Amino acid sequence: MNFWERITGNDISREWKAFDTRAAALPADHRAAWEQIKGHLHPHADLTGRNLTPILDAALGLLEETAAAGESAQEVLGDDVQGFCTGLLGGAGARTYRDRWREQLNRNVARKLSRLGG
Amino acid sequence: MDDLTEMLKGTLEGCVLEIIDREETYGYAITRRLNELGFADVVEGTVYTILLRLERNRLVQVAKRPSGVGPPRKFYALNDAGREELARFWAKWQYVSTRINSLKEGGR
Repeated sequence: MNFWERITGNDISREWKAFDTRAAALPADHRAAWEQIKGHLHPHADLTGRNLTPILDAALGLLEETAAAGESAQEVLGDDVQGFCTGLLGGAGARTYRDRWREQLNRNVARKLSRLGG
Repeated sequence: MDDLTEMLKGTLEGCVLEIIDREETYGYAITRRLNELGFADVVEGTVYTILLRLERNRLVQVAKRPSGVGPPRKFYALNDAGREELARFWAKWQYVSTRINSLKEGGR
């Protein structure tokens, strides 16, 4: 990744476009599962979404493997797609953008308070 | 038996370690093994996230092998750290199960 790509996020849109191409080749139920997975993972993206790329790649890999083996998306993921996504992110403590906002807010308030001598 | 998910949560990782310890294997086979044991609710996605965690914690060796259909499959084998973790799991299981059983039997 060079400087230009880092600034513009070009590499990300290219990689995500490649994901969409791969997903388009999946059977319908796997494709629906893919859309759901993307939806669940999205709140956990950092500013560019770069942190999600390897995770999405892993999830798509599983869908491709199982589709080729003739398993249905239901057999692969059950009914707990959210739980699956939490597992992919590395556990229940995975940070979302809300956690980051909350921390930032807390930091700012604490700083202002200390300036007031409170 | 239904609704085992909550109760299995802490133990499934140990079960997967034990299955891998028997022989090098892959996600689909592990899931089927658990289903045969009677854990019908366990789906491949669950096993897959456990395998990712084992990989992140460096408890397994991973090798990609070509498969009959589709992309190459990832095969998992335990390394030394994995075998230590498995021994710890069985020790903990022994501790928990004996105490819960003695509670059930009414002993102290």
